[in-house]
Amino acid sequence: MTLTKDHIGGLLFLALSVVYGYYAYEIRMFPGDQFEPFNAQTIPRALAWVGSIVAILMLATGSRSATERLSFAGLDVKLVAKLMLLVWIFAQALSWLGFLLSTIGFLLVGYWLLGERRPRTLLLASVPFAVGFWFLLAKLLDIYLAPGQVWQWL
Amino acid sequence: MWDGIFAGLDTAIAPFNILMVVVGCFSGTFIGMLPGLGPISAVALMIPITYGLDPASGIILMAGVYYGAVFGGSTSSILINAPGCASTVVTAFDGYPMAQKGQAGKALALAAYCSFTGGTIGALILLVAAPALATVSLSFQSSDYFALMVLGLSAVAAFSGKGQVLKALAMTIFGLMVATVGTDAISGIPRFTFGNLDLIDGISFLLLAMATFALAEVVMSVLKSEHKLEEAPMDMSALGSMKLTKEEVKHVAPTAARSSLFGFLVGVLPGAGATIAAFLAYGIERNLSPRAIKEKFGKGALRGLAAPEAANNAASTGSFVPLLTLGIPGSGTTAIMLGALIAYGIQPGPRLFVDNPEVFWSVIISMYFGNVVLLVLNLPLIPYISRLLIIPRPILIPLILFFSITGVYLVSFNSFDIELMVLITVIALFLRLLNFPMAPMLLGFILGGMLENNLSRALIISDGSLAFLWQRPLTALIMSFAILALVLPIVGRFFGWRRMEGKADMNVVDQGEG
Repeated sequence: MTLTKDHIGGLLFLALSVVYGYYAYEIRMFPGDQFEPFNAQTIPRALAWVGSIVAILMLATGSRSATERLSFAGLDVKLVAKLMLLVWIFAQALSWLGFLLSTIGFLLVGYWLLGERRPRTLLLASVPFAVGFWFLLAKLLDIYLAPGQVWQWL
Repeated sequence: MWDGIFAGLDTAIAPFNILMVVVGCFSGTFIGMLPGLGPISAVALMIPITYGLDPASGIILMAGVYYGAVFGGSTSSILINAPGCASTVVTAFDGYPMAQKGQAGKALALAAYCSFTGGTIGALILLVAAPALATVSLSFQSSDYFALMVLGLSAVAAFSGKGQVLKALAMTIFGLMVATVGTDAISGIPRFTFGNLDLIDGISFLLLAMATFALAEVVMSVLKSEHKLEEAPMDMSALGSMKLTKEEVKHVAPTAARSSLFGFLVGVLPGAGATIAAFLAYGIERNLSPRAIKEKFGKGALRGLAAPEAANNAASTGSFVPLLTLGIPGSGTTAIMLGALIAYGIQPGPRLFVDNPEVFWSVIISMYFGNVVLLVLNLPLIPYISRLLIIPRPILIPLILFFSITGVYLVSFNSFDIELMVLITVIALFLRLLNFPMAPMLLGFILGGMLENNLSRALIISDGSLAFLWQRPLTALIMSFAILALVLPIVGRFFGWRRMEGKADMNVVDQGEG
């Protein structure tokens, strides 16, 4: 049997609905809430059931054509993983290094990852932009940007 | 009503708000011209900026960006055959052949004039229809609202195109599931937070919109290595004349008028939107044209360009009708605007017309201003705006990523939000690879809270009985429409009704849909 995109989608959605349904029945309620016509579990439980039915319908009616198979050929998954990692590191760096340095680092590495190698372009497109944006936020709009824990220790 | 119109006019002509229209149209045009980034992403990128503005200015800015993005999409469709968003895919059918014949200037001008016609006719109908509908909907009860939301959500699935109905429905349910994360607004009990304090307030709609549209669309282009492609050079000196002759105007005028009316009506339908309006208007115009003109379609026919352009702009305006009067978004972009309005503490719906007339009317009036700005300022400046596109992709992509991330971070100042964005972007990418549309999820997420509130009220009033669904005639009528919207496409598929839609590939609806 060919596992097509529709089937993968259906299976994933079925798994999601089952797990969601399990936790929906685990939602704590105030005493007596279970006798109310509407409580915190009502919508989640209904969604879990409807989601499971839709997922089963997707599995039953999904395309069986071999052309509908999921393929990662020609997709630059590695580069996307690196970019996502960069965004995650940027999130950590914001609290450690502060907004300005993190932004400069994020942009420099981002340009580099996407193929820009000219040092002049790398610097010109990151440092003035980050300084200008930081100045706009911190000085002109008076938004407080935490300096970063590293600087507080020094 | 007139007091409201004058209050709206007063707000709309405030210099700052006119500036917002101009800035919105310009930035929207630029973002819309970037292939892959549609109106949803353009409006999402603007949300953090609008948080610092008053509600009327914020919504005016977003409406300007919406129009600008649709116009920008048309420009790149005509000049480089790379539609910036799904609603301008049809524009390229005849716009690009015109550009190849050295008539790019004429094609751009015709697109702008027809967009203007569509927008103007749309704004005029909106001026009359919105308050009328708002007055009627004041008598709606919670059961009617619940039914309307079910209709809105099921219509999104119904209009999602061949083979996509179940996927769109699944995404709507997924959106509703995500909306249940956080503290339950009715009982105050935390749900699906797994002990994480950062999830107590739920997932912010801005974060979800940015991650599933702005971030996911940019990262998708990286995944497909589109950032390595060299943009087709635009020779601005070869634009040609931007003037239309009297005969040409006469030739396309009925098309523009017809398509505007049709586009508006399609736009009003929840979930239909500008893309379907453009495809259908093109198809209708081709069928209505005499044989000689019909053969020119796809080879640079003026009517083939006029029809989708008038229709998509009128539909963009039409999609504001359900948003402003019922509080139910008609498209992905208006769903984002709904989220922004709620963030401002304004509840869109029939009460908006009564409680915040300045917001209601200023949005409608500024839509017209937006059309004027597009025609008077953007069209002559297109050669200059397009120069911004020469910024190399390796520079542009990290900048868009940065704006998307900081847009979310600067609202919450919580780095957990960025981590959550990474997770949601990865999930969105995978779902896109599986051909799942994203707009229904956003719509489900935004309507989720309201749907739960109205259902709880209706159930408590009827003492837990579901009879409210059929006891009140209006609720029963809306629910039957919702059921029809869900059942018809599925039944229709068995009988081959879908073939009537012609060659138009509706699957593009999920790509940068407006």
